Amino acid sequence: MEELLAEVVGVLVTVVEACGAAVILVGAVWAFARFVWVGVRGHGSRAFVPVRLTLGRFLALGLEFQLASDVLRTAVAPSFRELGQLAAVAAIRTALNYFLSREIAEERRQVAEEAREATPDPAAPESPGRTA
Amino acid sequence: MTSLGPLPGTLALLVSGLALLAGAVALVATRRPALALGVLLDLLLAAGLLRLAAEPTWTSIATAAAVVALRRLIGAGLRAGGRVLADVPPPAHR
Repeated sequence: MEELLAEVVGVLVTVVEACGAAVILVGAVWAFARFVWVGVRGHGSRAFVPVRLTLGRFLALGLEFQLASDVLRTAVAPSFRELGQLAAVAAIRTALNYFLSREIAEERRQVAEEAREATPDPAAPESPGRTA
Repeated sequence: MTSLGPLPGTLALLVSGLALLAGAVALVATRRPALALGVLLDLLLAAGLLRLAAEPTWTSIATAAAVVALRRLIGAGLRAGGRVLADVPPPAHR
């Protein structure tokens, strides 16, 4: 019975981890294509920010898949050494997920700010330095 | 604990190559090293995550953690430096 459970969990872990790796790979390749496109077209440095934002979202999504596979792995009691590695990997992924979400929020704020600066408020055309 | 075999490792190598290429393109296109470094580190991070999925040995775990820490450090340093530079008035000849 225990072997069966270990086998099922092993298959699930492989599937979920493959999903996470696929998401990260797709995000990286897509971002690379966009980076080259933006660089060749010469849209300037501001055009890179949305691409980085999307790459960050892809990475966060892939990380969440991989964290799910880590959680699944703890279901079958591994050896103590494997448990230590699992803890280290899970810690890295969790910390990274946290930092990535903060970075995404920060860059989204920057994009919104730049958009607001680029398009002045039509309701108050004579007060560019509006407060609040 | 290895479940996916050597495939993610190969893909990680591929993404590392893409990272170097994208960083170079960004540097040439914008002539802003800070931005190009950000692009490079973003994609290197993706490669590190793929490598972490491949085979979690202690060396690969340490490498991924080092990349993440370095990325945070450089990012924070660049932002702080950018703020300081932004406060400096522009040169007179411009």
